[in-house]
Amino acid sequence: MSEWTAIGALAVVALAIPGSMMVVSWLLRPSVPEQGKRATYESGEVPTGSSYGLRFNIQYYMIALLFLVFDVETIFIIPWTVVFEDAVGELGFLRAFAPMVVFLGLLVFGLAWAWRNGAVEWVRDTTAQREVTDRTEL
Amino acid sequence: MTLPTTIEEALPVGGVAAEAVAALAAATVIGTFVMLNTALAGPWAKRKITAAFTDRISVNQFGPLGVGIVVPDAVRLVSKELIVPEGADRPAWDLAPLVLVFSALFAFAVIPMGNGVHLADPAVGLVFVFAIASVASLGLVMAGYASNNKYAFLGGLRAVAQNLAYEIPLILIGISVVLYTGSLQMSEIVATQRETLVSLGPLSVPGWFAIVNPFAFVLFLVANVAEVGRNPFDVPEAPTEIVAGYQTEYSSVYFVLIYLGEFVHIFLGGAIIATIFLGGPAGPVLPGIVWFLLKIWAMFLFTQWLRSAVPRVRIDQLIEIGWKRLLVLAFVNLFATATVVGVLAA
Repeated sequence: MSEWTAIGALAVVALAIPGSMMVVSWLLRPSVPEQGKRATYESGEVPTGSSYGLRFNIQYYMIALLFLVFDVETIFIIPWTVVFEDAVGELGFLRAFAPMVVFLGLLVFGLAWAWRNGAVEWVRDTTAQREVTDRTEL
Repeated sequence: MTLPTTIEEALPVGGVAAEAVAALAAATVIGTFVMLNTALAGPWAKRKITAAFTDRISVNQFGPLGVGIVVPDAVRLVSKELIVPEGADRPAWDLAPLVLVFSALFAFAVIPMGNGVHLADPAVGLVFVFAIASVASLGLVMAGYASNNKYAFLGGLRAVAQNLAYEIPLILIGISVVLYTGSLQMSEIVATQRETLVSLGPLSVPGWFAIVNPFAFVLFLVANVAEVGRNPFDVPEAPTEIVAGYQTEYSSVYFVLIYLGEFVHIFLGGAIIATIFLGGPAGPVLPGIVWFLLKIWAMFLFTQWLRSAVPRVRIDQLIEIGWKRLLVLAFVNLFATATVVGVLAA
């Protein structure tokens, strides 16, 4: 039997389990439609606007960008780890190890650069800081 | 031998139909096994453990030690009314709980649980687990964005930032184990750990990677807690700051599914740790599957212990720990392991 037949079967089961729960719930639960209770929760206040146009911290973009680089890099490291021990036996330690040191060295250098330029530093809201200083002046 | 093969050989007929039936039966066994553990953990064990830590009384009325609470709780949760928030992005809002549960359950396909309970053993096992488990991030984004709630939106963003920050260290530490085994196959990783490391008189210490490389083990534990979003790294939910994060607007069965996804994810994290660091189902006297259960429940207890004992970090601290500490230490670990393995092999 192919391994992937069994894995595919689990994919079906992993969808069927939550699916069946949704069907059971649909059969059991009451439905009392009313507009008021559908309002989104905003600490009990009347919600203002929607969340779709919300502005958020630029930091989340920076982190995603940094992640992309390192995520691709792990793809290249995985095959190296698999063949490493055999490669040492065939080519010697230095020739198996040095290329990866150069490759990872470039990446670590990149991380150090990003670190120095504050890409992994949490950006503070400048307006919030101004309010604080204004208050101290009073 | 994997579970589907065992079932297929027990069937009186052969061919494609028997193969499909055997695969589905085996997958159902695995799925039910995981669901049973989760059903016990969510409504019962979590309450009991938290009560023990905080010196309180929890569920104790129904069944021995109150374990019967699982059944009425399941019925209660599933029969609640589903309230759809105003302006929710419908298909995405409905699919998010499905994606969360699916990714966590599906990744169990390659985990060896002992006594032949092992669904499949592809050559890329370890990569498969990491790849499927990280699909959960997608569900979190969907839940956070589609709810049309500001708290949910912030929770979704935080969840992604956290998963991105800890995914890299997690994989880098995980594959440092592959340097020893030279294979991504789960059965191979478990077999390598069976070899005796040192013999102390009658006792022989197995070469579990937690014993061989405790540094990597501790790092992996930390990265795993962050990856499954538990204390002290539960900023995406952070009830004191953003209500319940991405699950704020979910009720009824969707709420159950999101919770279920999280608990299955905790067990999945435990199963990965058990497989690559604690020798999988290996252990003395007791059968393999009992040891496997003990190990994943020990990991569950560990997360609940942290929940009761450690305060939550802030989001900026979380990002700093991930990118500035854990990632650097993961690189150090990878280089150090490669050097040791290389010097020993040369």
